[in-house]
Amino acid sequence: MSAMRAWFVRLGGLFGKERRDRELAEELESHLQFHIEDNLRAGMTPVEARRQALIKLGGVEQTKENYRDHHGFPWLESLLQDIRFGLRTLRKNPGFVIVAVLTLALGIGANSTIFSWINSTVFNPIPGVKHANEYAVLSTHAERDQTTISYRDYVDLRDRNQTFSTILAADPTPLSIKTKDKPERAWGLWVSENYFDALGVRPILGRGFLPSEDTQPGGALVAVISYHFWQTNFGGEQSVLGQTIEINRHPFEIVGVAPREFVGTQTGLSYDLWIPVKMIGALYGESLNPLEKRDENWFVCTGRLRPGVTVAQAQADLNVLMRQIVAQFPDDHRGDFTVTVSPLWRAPFGANFQLHTILFLLLAISGVVLLLACANVANLLLVRSFSRAHEMAIRLSLGATRWRLVRQSLVESLILSSFGGGIAMLFTLWTAGTLGTFVPPTAEVPLSITVRADRTVFVATFIVSVFTAIIFGILPALRSSRQQPARVLQEGTRRASGSTRKARLSSALVVAQFAMSLLLLVCAGLFIRSARMAEQFNPGFNPHHVLLYEYIFAGLAYDERSGNEFDRRLFDKLQEIGGAESATLSDFVPLSYQVQTQLIQAEGYVPQAHESMNLTFANVGPDFLRTLQIPLVAGREFTASDNGDSRFVAIVNTAFANRYWPHMDAVGKQIRTKWHSFTVVGVAENIDYDTLGQRSDPFVYLPLFQQFSGNGAILVRVPGDPLAAATAVQDAVHSIDADLPLFNLSTLDSRIALRTATQRIAGVFVGGLGVVALLLASIGIYGVLAYTTRQRTQEIGVRMALGAQPRSVLLLVLSQGLKLAILGLAVGLLVSLVLTRALSTVLFGVSPADPLTFVAVVGVLVAAVLLACWIPARRASRVDPMVALRYE
Amino acid sequence: MANDKSDVWQGTLALMVLKTLEAMGELHGYGIARRIEQTSGDLLSVNYGTLYPALLKLEQEGYISSEWGVSDNNRKAKFYKLTRAGRKQLEKEAREWEQTTAILARFLAPGEVSR
Repeated sequence: MSAMRAWFVRLGGLFGKERRDRELAEELESHLQFHIEDNLRAGMTPVEARRQALIKLGGVEQTKENYRDHHGFPWLESLLQDIRFGLRTLRKNPGFVIVAVLTLALGIGANSTIFSWINSTVFNPIPGVKHANEYAVLSTHAERDQTTISYRDYVDLRDRNQTFSTILAADPTPLSIKTKDKPERAWGLWVSENYFDALGVRPILGRGFLPSEDTQPGGALVAVISYHFWQTNFGGEQSVLGQTIEINRHPFEIVGVAPREFVGTQTGLSYDLWIPVKMIGALYGESLNPLEKRDENWFVCTGRLRPGVTVAQAQADLNVLMRQIVAQFPDDHRGDFTVTVSPLWRAPFGANFQLHTILFLLLAISGVVLLLACANVANLLLVRSFSRAHEMAIRLSLGATRWRLVRQSLVESLILSSFGGGIAMLFTLWTAGTLGTFVPPTAEVPLSITVRADRTVFVATFIVSVFTAIIFGILPALRSSRQQPARVLQEGTRRASGSTRKARLSSALVVAQFAMSLLLLVCAGLFIRSARMAEQFNPGFNPHHVLLYEYIFAGLAYDERSGNEFDRRLFDKLQEIGGAESATLSDFVPLSYQVQTQLIQAEGYVPQAHESMNLTFANVGPDFLRTLQIPLVAGREFTASDNGDSRFVAIVNTAFANRYWPHMDAVGKQIRTKWHSFTVVGVAENIDYDTLGQRSDPFVYLPLFQQFSGNGAILVRVPGDPLAAATAVQDAVHSIDADLPLFNLSTLDSRIALRTATQRIAGVFVGGLGVVALLLASIGIYGVLAYTTRQRTQEIGVRMALGAQPRSVLLLVLSQGLKLAILGLAVGLLVSLVLTRALSTVLFGVSPADPLTFVAVVGVLVAAVLLACWIPARRASRVDPMVALRYE
Repeated sequence: MANDKSDVWQGTLALMVLKTLEAMGELHGYGIARRIEQTSGDLLSVNYGTLYPALLKLEQEGYISSEWGVSDNNRKAKFYKLTRAGRKQLEKEAREWEQTTAILARFLAPGEVSR
C-alpha cells in the first residue's frame, strides 16, 4: 500500500519541481548551519568549522540529484522531454512527417484490416460463444470430400467417447414460417437437445431445450428464435414466449430467444431459429425421419474438448469408436468413415472453410507491405540524419551518451508510428466491414459475415505500431548516433562525413524495397489473373442471362399430387413468357452449395467392399439441359410427357456412364433408388455441380414431374437482362397460386460470383497493395537518388567544368539508379519464384510461375524506375558548373 | 579515523530514523543524523547525502510528516515527526529486525551449525 502511495506522490512530483528544489536547498543550508554551530562549539575556527561541515555533508549537487531521483521518475521526466523535443523537431519538417505517417498508416492499416477479418472469422468462429477455441468439428469422408454424420452414429460417438465433454449435432434447413398471414422462408437448424448448454449460450428470454425434448418424439413442438427474428417479427415484445408460429404448417411454441450476437454454429452463416431434432419426424413425416437411420448422414457435429485434450487425441479416440460402429453396421457405412476432428478455424463447414487459407496468405502479404513501408521510412530517416549529423555531433561532444541519442531517435520513430497506427485504426474501423461486401447478397444460404474492429484489433494494431517503430527506427538511430564529433564539426558545412557508408545502407534498403515490391506486384498480378480466370471460367454450362427464382411448398396446402400438378402448370405458363428462350424448373441449382445424395444402384455394377453408392442427384423439369446449355452426349432430354403416368426415366452424366458402364451404351440401362427403378434415356456432359473446376463425380438427373420435390427453382433463359423477366415469372406463378411465396430473385451469374468471392477478395486487396508497393518503391529510389545527386552537385559541377556533356551526366545518374533497381529486381524474381508456390492452392487457373504476370510486372517496375530516376538525373545534367563550384 | 566507523547499512537507516523520531518527537534532519551517531556511541557515521533522500522516501510513504519551524536557537529548519502509520511501521520493522537478529544469533551460536 505504502509503495503505491509513494508511487502516486512521485507521480505528483513530476510537477512543482522548482519549488521543491528551493526547499531542499534551504533545508540543506539550515543543516549546514547547525553543523557549523556545533563545530564552533567544539572549538574549531570558523573556517575549519565550515570546511568540516561541508566535507561531512558531501557534494551538495550530488545530494540534490540523489534527492531528485526520489522525486518523480527521472526516466519518465527525460522521456517526456524526449517526446516534447521530438514533437518540436518533427513539427519543423511537416513534409517528411506527412509522407512517413501516411506510409506507415498504409502499411499498418493493411495489416490491421486483415487482422480484423481473421479476428472475426478464425479467432471468433462462433460469435457469442466463449472459449470457442475449445470446440472442434467432426467430419468423415464418407461421400464427397467432407461430410456429415448420421444421428445414430452421433449419439454413439457422443456417449462413448473419452475426449469430449460434450458433442452437439446440427443440420441447417430452409423452413416455411407463417407468423401472421403469409408464409415466409427462414433458415433453421435442427439441433440436438444439448445444443445451447453445450455452447454455454443462455437464451436472453425463456429457455433452451430440455433433455426430454431429445428423447420423446411426438411431444409438444417447440423452437428457440434468434434475436433478429424476434425483433423483426415480434417487435422485441417480451410476450413472445408461449406464442405459436407455424413452421411448415405445424404449430410451434416459442420457448426462448437467443442472445443478439449468437446466430448459429457455422461461421459466416446466421439462422433464424433452432428446433430439436426429435421434431423432424413431425415435420417431414416418419418415412423421412433420419434419427433411426445410420445411413442418413445429416448432421454437422461440434464438440467441446475436455481440458488438456488435443485435437489429434480426440481424433484417435473417435476413430477407435467409429471403427467399432462400422464393424457393427457395415451395410450402413459404405465409403471412408475415418473421422477428422478440425479446430473451428479450419472447419470444413461454414465460411472459414473458404476464408482461412486466403486470409492468412493476405496477412503474410500485408506483412511484406509493412516491411516495405518500414524500409521507406527508414530511408527517409537516414536521409534526415545526414542533415542532423551536426546536431548529433554537438550533443555528443556536450556529453550526451550514445544511448540517450538512440533513445531520442527511437522516441521520434515511436511518435511517427503512433500517428500512423492511429490513422490505420480509424481506417480499419471502416475497412473491417468491407469483407462482407465481397460476398454477393444472396438469401440462398443464410450468409452473414460481420466484422467489427474490436478491442483485440485495437490492441494488436498498437503492438504492431510499436514494433514497426523499432524495425524502421533502430538502424537510423544507431547510425546517426555513431558520429565522430570532431570530424563532423571540422568538416563543417560539407557534412560529408560517413555519407558513403550511409548511402550504402540506403542503397541496400532500396534494393530490398524493389525486391519486396516485385514480390507484391507478382502476387497482385497472379491474384488478379486468378480472379479473372474464375469469372470467365466455363463451368460446363452457360450461367449468363439466366434468371433464378425459388419457391417452396412446405407450409402450404400441397401434397405430392397437387405439388406435381402445380409444377406442370407452372412449366406450361413459363413457356408463354414473351422473349424467353427457354424456361425450366428444378430442385437443384449448380454451384449453390447444396446437392442432394441418395443410394443409387447401377444395373450390373457390383460395388467394392467399402465403395459408397450414395450419389449426387437432382430432380429437374423438361428442358433443363437446354436452359443451362449443358451438352447432351447421347439419348434425349426430359420432356413434359415424362410424368407420373409414364415409365420412370433418368439422365446420367458421362462420369456416371464411364464409371459404372465403361465401354457400354448407357442409354437403355437401369438404375435403382430405394423406391423406384429408372431407365436411362440420356447422357449429359459433366458440369461443375458443387465446386468450380471439379466435375468428375457421377451425377443423376431424375424428372421433377415424376419425383415430387418440396422446393423448386425457376430458371429462365432470356436474351437480355434476366431480371427484366422477373415480373413475368411472378405473374405466371401467382396466376396459379396467388399465395405462393417466391424467394431469392437472382441470376445464375451471381451464384458463381459467390463461388469466386475469395478470388475477388484476394484480387482487389492484393491488387491494391501492389499499387501501394509500386508507389513506395518508386518514392524510395527517387528519394535516395535525389539525395545522392544533391551530395554530388560539386563533383558534377567539376566534371562539367572539365567538359563533361549533360548527356553523360544524365547517364551517370541514371545508371546509378538502374544498378540498384536491377539488383533489387533480380533478388525479387528469385524470392518470388520460390514464395509464390505457396499460392498454388488458392490460385484458380493460373500457375504460380505464370510467365505473363512476371513479364508484365518486371515491365511495370522498370518503367517506374526510369521515371523515378529521370527527374534527379535531369536535374543533375542541368547543373550550372559556376553555381555548383561557387556553392563550395 | 573515518575508517573505524561503520557506514549505516542499507535499509536500516529508515528504521533508525523512525526509532529516533519515536524517542525524540519532532526533530530536524541534522538533529536526526547527530542523534543516530550519538546513540551508536559514535560507532556509526551517517552519510548526510543519503539521509535526505531517505527522509523524502519515508515522507512519500506516509510514515513521517514534515513542517517548517524554528529551532531552539532561532534557526529556520524543517522538522520531521512520526505519523500514526509510521508508528505501526516501526513496530513491524522492529519485530522483523528482532527476528532476523535472533535467527542470525542462533546460526552464529557455537556448535550449532558447524557440525
